[in-house]
Amino acid sequence: MAKIAIIGAGFAGHTAALYLGDKLGADHDITVINRSSRFGYVPSWVWVGVGHMDPEKTMFELEPVYDKFGIKLVVGSAEEIHPDPEDQYVMVNPKDGHTQVRVDYDYLIIATGARLNFEGTPGLGPETGNTWSICTRGHAVQASHHYLEAVDRLKAGEKQTFVVGTGHPGATCQGAAFEYVSNIHKDLVKKGLRDKAEIIYLSNEPQPGDFGVRGVQIFRHGKVFTAAQFIGGILKEFGIVDQTGRGVKEVQPGKAFWEDMDGNEGETAFDFAMLVPQFLGTKFKYIGKNGEDLSDKLMNAGGFVLVDAIYGLEYEVLEQTPEAWPAVYQNRYYRNIFAGGIAFAPPGPISRPHVTPTGFKISPAPPRTGMISGVTGRVIALNVADLVIRGRMTHHERMTEMVAACIASMGDSLWDGSAASIVMYPVVPDMRRYPNEGGRDMITTHMEMGLSGAWMKRMLHTTFIHKLQGRIGWQFIPE
Amino acid sequence: MTEELYTITEKERKRMNNKLLQLWRFIILNLRILRAVDHSKRA
Repeated sequence: MAKIAIIGAGFAGHTAALYLGDKLGADHDITVINRSSRFGYVPSWVWVGVGHMDPEKTMFELEPVYDKFGIKLVVGSAEEIHPDPEDQYVMVNPKDGHTQVRVDYDYLIIATGARLNFEGTPGLGPETGNTWSICTRGHAVQASHHYLEAVDRLKAGEKQTFVVGTGHPGATCQGAAFEYVSNIHKDLVKKGLRDKAEIIYLSNEPQPGDFGVRGVQIFRHGKVFTAAQFIGGILKEFGIVDQTGRGVKEVQPGKAFWEDMDGNEGETAFDFAMLVPQFLGTKFKYIGKNGEDLSDKLMNAGGFVLVDAIYGLEYEVLEQTPEAWPAVYQNRYYRNIFAGGIAFAPPGPISRPHVTPTGFKISPAPPRTGMISGVTGRVIALNVADLVIRGRMTHHERMTEMVAACIASMGDSLWDGSAASIVMYPVVPDMRRYPNEGGRDMITTHMEMGLSGAWMKRMLHTTFIHKLQGRIGWQFIPE
Repeated sequence: MTEELYTITEKERKRMNNKLLQLWRFIILNLRILRAVDHSKRA
């Protein structure tokens, strides 16, 4: 009987748990370790953040789902990982405060998601009270309260400035920030308050539509059409001020200080701000059998788990090396340890990093959220099941082979809402397979805007929650 | 940015909210994503 431990029950970890439960069932011992007893459907926190969705509609209890598959749940924080072959286990501090729990494993999947590095930018984040976040359910609820307070001030006749974007030059998740700023715009239009509000999109992307993936290109009306034109046009249409190409260095009450791509310093004043922090990995203690520190074999400086990627390549070389991206998300030293979703260390950025004349680095990190998280969770789970059943792995999927669909809500109404629907294939450009400027399949890659996207976004909420609760047909719904 | 930005004309606005057309676009978008997922799974 094999023992499999999964740390994290977000998109990657929970997807892995479902597939492992399905393939291996109660014949093997599967344990999920998670800080919360509930799953949170992150994509809908954009709507929670503007007060348009009850946060409870984005959550469900994990235990009833895991019971169906014979999976154990330990609610707590994993603190130490002991990976040496003779004695492999994870030490967990349980949430209920009792003594530490030891979870033994033959295979370990690390899917801890993002450590929100608000401290990486002085003055950033809900703890400071300067800026808000939609990165956790609790943060999204807080953001909605402060957003609605700003709306009340608008109703009282005061002008208000809303700033949304990224709060660190190395942040990711610009898609979520774009969604949030678009939903604020739409909400204020519907409330008849838009003319009193200034809305600013402040981001580390070199231009709108970059989203940390170097933007996308498609053919439209016989010509190349870029995400920069598409998203830039939407921002202009919505009257949202474009402040892309800026890395935020510090936040003080009511002001964000940044440096732009030319090395100019500036500041943006606000009454309400939602700025996404830098995402880092969870730094565990990796301890050898003699008490030695094994961190350098398992994680990089950011806390992300080292996997089967080629690290250390200069950007220009990485751009031409699709095989640098991991295929099986397996640690090279401890081959029974895998990492999926945001937890794995990518070989480098997708968007070209920029260093300003003052030496300040502005470099959007590559996104590994949403669909990518789910796919990596599935690939890892199927490979672990393979190893248990037949002793070898048969699945692989690099981000240079993976498709991602991003539906950026721009108003949640099913009657007159909208969304920008973007399909990119592959996620990471592969200049060898697709020797065009974008490095992607320009037929499959697609962008459009309309009410159909709003329906799509709402459908994704319902079908994903159905899938992730392991309900009938869950295996047939793509990640 | 020197490229011409996407402009939402009145015609575009109507198209984006035309329920029948958007139902068609919804079906096509789903098929497009499913085809791309199938393609990437076979890759």
